Amino acid sequence: MLKMNNIKKVFRTDLVETHALRDFSLQVEEKEFVAVTGPSGSGKTTFLNITGMLETFDGGVYELDNEDVSKLNDKQRSRLRNEKIGFIFQSFNLIPDLNLFDNVDVPLRYRGFNAKERKQRIENALERVGLSARLKHLPSQLSGGQQQRVAIARALAGDPRFLLADEPTGNLDSLMARQVMQLLEEINQQGTTIIMVTHDSELARRAHRNIHIVDGQVSDYQDLQPVLDVAEA
Amino acid sequence: MFQYYLKLSWLSIKRTPMLSALMVIAIGLGISVSITVLTVDYLMSKDPLPGKSHKLFHVQLDTYNKGNTDSAPGGLPYQLTYQDLMNLSRSEIPSKQSRSLRSGFSVIPEKVGLTPFSRSARVIDNDFFEMFKVPFLFGSPWEDEVNNKAKKVVVIAKRLNDKLFDGENSVGKTINLDKQLFTIVGVIDTWEPTPRFYDVNNGAFSDTEQLFIPFSLIPVLELPSWGSNNAWKSEVFESYEDKLRSETMWLQYWVQLDTKAKQEEYREFLAGYVEQQRPLGRFEKEDAKTDIKDVVQWMENNRVVSDDNSVLVGLSFMFLAVCMLNTIALLLAKYLKRAPEVGVRRALGASKLEIFTQHIVDVGLIGLAGGALGLLLGQLGLLGVKSLYANYERLVNMDLTLIATAIGLAIGASIIAGLYPAWLICRTNPSIYLKTQ
Repeated sequence: MLKMNNIKKVFRTDLVETHALRDFSLQVEEKEFVAVTGPSGSGKTTFLNITGMLETFDGGVYELDNEDVSKLNDKQRSRLRNEKIGFIFQSFNLIPDLNLFDNVDVPLRYRGFNAKERKQRIENALERVGLSARLKHLPSQLSGGQQQRVAIARALAGDPRFLLADEPTGNLDSLMARQVMQLLEEINQQGTTIIMVTHDSELARRAHRNIHIVDGQVSDYQDLQPVLDVAEA
Repeated sequence: MFQYYLKLSWLSIKRTPMLSALMVIAIGLGISVSITVLTVDYLMSKDPLPGKSHKLFHVQLDTYNKGNTDSAPGGLPYQLTYQDLMNLSRSEIPSKQSRSLRSGFSVIPEKVGLTPFSRSARVIDNDFFEMFKVPFLFGSPWEDEVNNKAKKVVVIAKRLNDKLFDGENSVGKTINLDKQLFTIVGVIDTWEPTPRFYDVNNGAFSDTEQLFIPFSLIPVLELPSWGSNNAWKSEVFESYEDKLRSETMWLQYWVQLDTKAKQEEYREFLAGYVEQQRPLGRFEKEDAKTDIKDVVQWMENNRVVSDDNSVLVGLSFMFLAVCMLNTIALLLAKYLKRAPEVGVRRALGASKLEIFTQHIVDVGLIGLAGGALGLLLGQLGLLGVKSLYANYERLVNMDLTLIATAIGLAIGASIIAGLYPAWLICRTNPSIYLKTQ
């Protein structure tokens, strides 16, 4: 369902060429929860941006649900992103002058849903993250944890197949981080595939699979599910 | 989506009130200057009789002798001699015609409390009213026979009727003009063609006359000309008759020619008339020209819209361009500030085209506000023109076309100004901002 083969990404300036990803290959199956770790500058975020079609790549093949992404134009990529991918960011990236309802509404607008369906989806999504009573609040009136839950609601409102999370707990204290992680796990259990970039090894261990990136390449590949199964037992 | 984009634009304006206000002011200033100059230019040059102006023709003959040429554009004099006018008016080719002179009278009111005053008069044939679509409030033009058989009848303007008769129907009453009683046969409603196309060479932006009397009265009352007189020949007038027989050009002549065939026939008629007059010692030039010009051509020929005005229009649009350049800079500042939000929208599924459209709607809304401000400032500008140039008084009113033009110009110019900033912002790599917000 998500397949990358020998992806290359090079950032160029007049003087320097930086290879962000080199022959990067990965396959993610449906309903997986994959944690991506690695040192700063290793290429984690570049990988996530390419996965979310926010960045183009310089070589290799990337297929999302059997569609060759490199052959799509901007409109098709945007459509695919809107329908199949939800984003969660470290700094939440809520739009400050839109209330919660309108923030969650953003991806639904681009999907072209009618007003009634949008309203239904927004209310459901905010209820799912426990914020249905704060539809008219502005992001600035919420705590960091609450803002991240709104961002999750926004990402989920369109029922995406994939959730891409870039350090989703990076700006949260440990209590809120645990709550957000718990929410992500619930979402994954309900069938959404999650790819999460994190520096936090504890969080990474809670994923099904841990991919470690160093210098733009997958350096380690660890299936953690058996470990977690033992821990749960 | 358009409504959604409008909502986002409104939020964006609220978020950046200073930048937005500066843009609205910049656009408003540019539009106000442009629309002020454009209003004057448009009203000066617009077709005063749409649908009919192409059928009405002003007649010109080159009566100058060899070696003399009129200084008017094309070398043809603006006006005609009395003898030519009388000869030409016998033609039955035009469906309607009107000889014309600007003269004037002292009006001696009967109404208590009013002192005598002078008023200019248009001395014409009765076809004048129908040819130029003059609206009547009371009564009608004089009978056809009065065109040839002088009779002291008069049509007065509403303004004069209000002054002398308090706006009542004065048809049948008399009015004392230069101590002679004229019977009022009609009162015309407000009629202020701007420019005064039927006599542009005697002040295209002067007021319309308030008295209209039959042309046949000219020799009877020996009416003076209150307009321009042109002559190439040194002639001494010992009597009014001498003036009527002279080569002095002091009268205008309009004919209505409804079809191309009639127009062609009339041109041939004029050429034939010149040949007929040559044996009498007139029209000495071998290539003595004749011409007929319709209303719009006549206004162009007389440069109703001066070259200075065209230069002013050009300058005003240059000023608008400078204002729009400033707007581009402000838009760039505003949109680059908003780039992180664009990054989020792109991540959530907006295409480049949708981001571009959103920003174009945004500049369109700012342009609309700028246009509204420009209209307000433009009205002030027109009041300034009015106070400076009394003759332009009627030119300073914007009609719906001009208001729509101002708004359209503001939105159009804003969208053009917004193309580059919107294009730049929609091409921005969203991933740069998603990490740094």
